[in-house]
Amino acid sequence: MPPHQISCYLTPSGYKFLLLHPALGQDSVGGFFKDVAEVWVKLVLGGLWERESVVESKGFDDRLFPSLFFFLLATWEHGLFPLFAFFPFLAFLFMRQRNGRPSSRAGMVKVGKVKAEFTEYKNANVFTGTWNVNAKKMDPSTSLASWLFPPSTPSPPDIIAVGFQEIVDLNAVNVAVDSKASQRSLFWQDTILRTLSSNNRRYTLVQEVHLVGMLLCVYVQNKHLPHVSNVSCNTVGVGVMGVMGNKGGVSVRMTYYDSGICFVCSHFAAHRENVVGRNQDFHSIVSKTSFDVGPAVVKEGVASGSIGQWREGDEGKIGVMDHDVVWWLGDLNYRIDEGMGTEEVFEKAQRGDIETLRKHDQLNIERGNSNVFQGFSESILSFPPTYKYQPNTDLYECRPDKKLRAPAWCDRVLWHEADSGTVDCQVYERAELNISDHKPVMATFTCRIKNINTTKRADVYSEVMRSLDKRENQSLPKVDLDKVTIDFKSLYYDNKSMASITLTNTGTSNAHWRLVPKLEDEALCKEWVQVSPTFGLLVKGESCEINFSVQIDNETAMKLSNNDESLDDILILRLENGRDHYLTVSGKYARSCFGMGVRDLVLISEPVRDVPLDPKGRIDFEASHPPASLSVPKELWRIVDAISEKGLHEKDLFLTPGFAAEVKQIRECLDTNSDFGLFHIHSMAEVLVSFLASLSEPIVPSTLFPTLEIDQGNIMPWSRRFLEELPPIHYNCFVYIISFFREILLYSNSNNLSPAKLARVCTSCLIRSDEANRGGKGDRSRNMSLIFLHFLTTNSI
Amino acid sequence: MSGSVRHFKLVLLGDTAVGKSCLVVRFVRDEFFEFQEPTIGAAFLTQSVQLDSSVVKFEIWDTAGQERYRSLAPMYYRGASAAIVVFDLSNKESYNGAKSWVKAYAEENNILYLETSAKNAANVKNLFVEIAKKLPQQAMQQEREQGFTISPPKQEKKSCC
Repeated sequence: MPPHQISCYLTPSGYKFLLLHPALGQDSVGGFFKDVAEVWVKLVLGGLWERESVVESKGFDDRLFPSLFFFLLATWEHGLFPLFAFFPFLAFLFMRQRNGRPSSRAGMVKVGKVKAEFTEYKNANVFTGTWNVNAKKMDPSTSLASWLFPPSTPSPPDIIAVGFQEIVDLNAVNVAVDSKASQRSLFWQDTILRTLSSNNRRYTLVQEVHLVGMLLCVYVQNKHLPHVSNVSCNTVGVGVMGVMGNKGGVSVRMTYYDSGICFVCSHFAAHRENVVGRNQDFHSIVSKTSFDVGPAVVKEGVASGSIGQWREGDEGKIGVMDHDVVWWLGDLNYRIDEGMGTEEVFEKAQRGDIETLRKHDQLNIERGNSNVFQGFSESILSFPPTYKYQPNTDLYECRPDKKLRAPAWCDRVLWHEADSGTVDCQVYERAELNISDHKPVMATFTCRIKNINTTKRADVYSEVMRSLDKRENQSLPKVDLDKVTIDFKSLYYDNKSMASITLTNTGTSNAHWRLVPKLEDEALCKEWVQVSPTFGLLVKGESCEINFSVQIDNETAMKLSNNDESLDDILILRLENGRDHYLTVSGKYARSCFGMGVRDLVLISEPVRDVPLDPKGRIDFEASHPPASLSVPKELWRIVDAISEKGLHEKDLFLTPGFAAEVKQIRECLDTNSDFGLFHIHSMAEVLVSFLASLSEPIVPSTLFPTLEIDQGNIMPWSRRFLEELPPIHYNCFVYIISFFREILLYSNSNNLSPAKLARVCTSCLIRSDEANRGGKGDRSRNMSLIFLHFLTTNSI
Repeated sequence: MSGSVRHFKLVLLGDTAVGKSCLVVRFVRDEFFEFQEPTIGAAFLTQSVQLDSSVVKFEIWDTAGQERYRSLAPMYYRGASAAIVVFDLSNKESYNGAKSWVKAYAEENNILYLETSAKNAANVKNLFVEIAKKLPQQAMQQEREQGFTISPPKQEKKSCC
């Protein structure tokens, strides 16, 4: 056996689903669990569920089946299907309350109890009778009283259901044409009503339904008529070819007060040996009978607990079993088991040995084996078999010219109750009317009928709803944040700043959190913010830190200088199945000359840090005081001056890295126009290179790169043209730097520099190398480097 | 009861400090806090309303009203079945805010929103044209048929045996 796993799914409200399954991917198990959880939630919302009871709902199983099917399919894809098919019981599903949750526990108990809170009960007396009349008619003056009014029933029934079979001959014409059956139906209705009214009882026929030989008439005492609603009937043929009406069932359902009740009158397959056929007829009638009562009635039935809550969504149709009580009567045609010889049956029937015979009754045997009428009850047979009689006598048919049929209890009444204790059978008897070869059978019942207090029910449901909402809201994931705003105050060029937010799960359930991008964004935050981690799971009471680091790189500095960016961002922290929190990250840019353009810098006389701004936060050049129009940025001048002053002899100038702290310090002094203090010359040289490289527009724009290969023949005109086309301030800076470098070269003996080395320095900071090689032919930065070399070695400026 | 629970996403919109969260807290928990903290983010709660034949379950998103968070609001009102736009009766500015919230919600969810003036005729014709475009084609046709078509009386079918 391959390895198995136990997976657990935790719902937001703390229910655990456990599943034992073959090892396979998390996705398919997760998907299965989600489906189960959805069905489960519906069960809980139904409100008629007892806590810690086993889920024994066919509806639940039905709903689950598709999920299970796909789950099996997923298993199959993993090559585990054969095992699963052999051991379907491996998929155990447990549903258990999470420990230590007294509040939700109380909530669930309440849900389970509600049904009783809004339901009042009353008793109704019900009469049911069935008679196979063998196509005979009665003398109109004869009364049905001995059948319809069994002597031992004290009070008049509130509901009377009378079923007949073979009101017409089951010949081909009658099966095909209804006219004779309709006439006979009227005849029997008439006879019944006459009998009923002879006893001064006032009944109204609420529904008649017939199919070929089967007829069912349901009467209700007039005083109850206002409480009868949603009467509906149905006929199902299961005879010839499985559809004709020579055999089958006719049924009537109604809502009586708030109970759904249903009567089925059926005629099953004949012949002693055909037990299987009769069982099959029962199942066919159950599955084919459908009452189209409409969605509103279904909904009402569900709310009253009369219909399983899974019926909804079936377009307002319900079946036989969707009722509080079902009475099933008719010529079910079950005989005495073939193990007993015909003679012996006759002998016992005539002698009145009912006890022995009923042990051999096919229906009793089949029900005992759960082959038919599962869940139905029948009162004990205490009357002699009702078939087959010699018409107009009280003798079993045994005339020599007739086919010999062993006496049997063909005619029966059974019932099914959704809640036990609803129905109590008082009388189960036969009457001695003798026109037919069958005797009529009758059964009377007291039945507990529901009377729903709708106002109370609405109140109870509202309360349940409220408590469910409350529970749901209480179990939403919840986290506390020690702060939701991080203000970095001043943020400096190329400096990294860090801060963190502490997240604590203060809710009652697990909190899955995740940073999510804003609508239509892909990134979680702006480029200058780095955040980690971006998702996580916190169990109850657990904390974690979300770390933020912010760095103004050159690109951000340029955007900030141009006012294309602000140091302000909102991150969205989302709790799965819960709320969103906004985290604000902000800072103030300590403005720097790094990342600016030379054309802007020459207009500023103040330190860059103190440059005047307009109301929108842009540099207000007009307001610079005194008004400046420098030839090169003062920062460039200060750096060059500092190097010239004491660094010209420095060995490997520009080729030796500086000290990071000093570089930072020098940068700050440039931006605040304060004294440099002590520094190593290499640090200053590094600042020069990095300053030039940081400019938002390089000193040499890429548009001026030579478009042809530079050689000794064309270098002069290219260089001249290059100088002419440099924008004025860029020209100043370029000339200034080249002149400075040429000065440095005068000390090459001590500083060990060469024109080639300095040309490389120029290439690294005066052009943007990524632009240099974009789209052009050949190595354009090499061409540019040759031009730099030319200026460094000749007196061309 | 199960199948009759219908879920809807509902969003509260409006300027800051007009009482969106208070409204939700009153509805869901029947409580009121004099000093309700500003919502920084989007609060989420559920609450059901029992109707005669069904239950409507609201999934409520209570959004942040502060101006700086405004650009994030579409995350919540996109696809919402209903929006409650809240303003403070004693704050005219919040009424103007409410108008812009309605407009934004309408735009996002493809709901017709037009500002018209009878006085200077702005958008008046457009209003009716846009409504006409939105009406379902089918219904219009049906109305016409009922109004104008005179159908001949139905002939009795004579059956022969």
